[in-house]
Amino acid sequence: MSERATLGKEEVRELFRAYRSAETPDEQTAAKDQLVNQHIGLVEFLARRFRNRGEPLEDLVQVGTIGLLKAIERFELDREVEFSTYATPTIVGELKRHFRDKGWAVRVPRRLQELHLELTKVVGHLGHDLGRSPTVAEIAKAAGVTEEAVLEGLEVAQAYNFTSLDAPIDTDDGGSTTFADQLGADDEHLENLEYRASLAPEMAKLPERERRILYLRFFKGMTQSEIAERLGISQMHVSRLLNRTLGQLREALEEA
Amino acid sequence: MVVPATPSYLQVLRLVAAGLASRLAFTIDEIEDLKIAVDELSAYLTGSQGREGSIDIAFEVEGSSITIHGTGRFEPGHKVRTDLTDFSKMILETVVDSASLGQTNGTPTFTLVKSKQLEST
Repeated sequence: MSERATLGKEEVRELFRAYRSAETPDEQTAAKDQLVNQHIGLVEFLARRFRNRGEPLEDLVQVGTIGLLKAIERFELDREVEFSTYATPTIVGELKRHFRDKGWAVRVPRRLQELHLELTKVVGHLGHDLGRSPTVAEIAKAAGVTEEAVLEGLEVAQAYNFTSLDAPIDTDDGGSTTFADQLGADDEHLENLEYRASLAPEMAKLPERERRILYLRFFKGMTQSEIAERLGISQMHVSRLLNRTLGQLREALEEA
Repeated sequence: MVVPATPSYLQVLRLVAAGLASRLAFTIDEIEDLKIAVDELSAYLTGSQGREGSIDIAFEVEGSSITIHGTGRFEPGHKVRTDLTDFSKMILETVVDSASLGQTNGTPTFTLVKSKQLEST
């Protein structure tokens, strides 16, 4: 493995020449490794732009690296453009495709996907009209389906694994808040946070929004609907983020 | 209901709990909270990877309350935590009226109760 020093445009082109004209597989692999190392910083930079969408950064870097490898294969030396400029859309494309394809973590029949989308809308509208969280019967009536179908649709939501690319990812005040910032020192719950020592590292790994949801639900006592309103996302979305986050923390605690 | 002590059955428990809650006209928020509690407590019995044995879950509906009792049926000597972590306590205090984890004759058990909230205006 080579140093991750930044090479100039000409040196990168030289590496490409070495890669293309390699006479042995070993030589070729070595040149390719250097090209990857040279640009992994770019992959990390681009992957970080997607990190608040509920996927671990390491996974995103891996996905981005696939894009980088594709770009290395496709790059033509007679192009005037710098390789990094050429590779950027390919890497971003790979990341976007990842989110699009992995939207449903398990195969969910189209009928249920559509039901899920319909319910997301209905729950939002009803909540707004009623001024409280709706009941299953109310949702069933509004959506024109049975109560069982509603329950099934809500459960299916848990299989929907990603954050809409359009969903707001920043805090609503526009600033970047840390979990620590949000924990008011006078919060009575905080007096008893013995678990903090063991959970703190896990909390730190959570995406900003997941930490915020956890905080609003369990420290501020806001309901899922209220959190949804506050963050500008659907209640069902809050539900699945919360469930997933709790699952992750549970596993982390179990291993601790 | 007796099911294998593996996480894949938790979704069924969640659905049953949600189905009962919807009969009691729980709101979506209340149902989601109930499901979180079912997950949280059942996880003590199944662990994240599942365990040899089964879990026995009883659902009781009375008035506008749902009570869920869970019992792990494992081989004797199976080490299972029987006290709630502080983190679990905090979660459960928020989402249900009462929740406890303990043991009966060396068998881990849990109980949770959630009632429909009176509508506040």
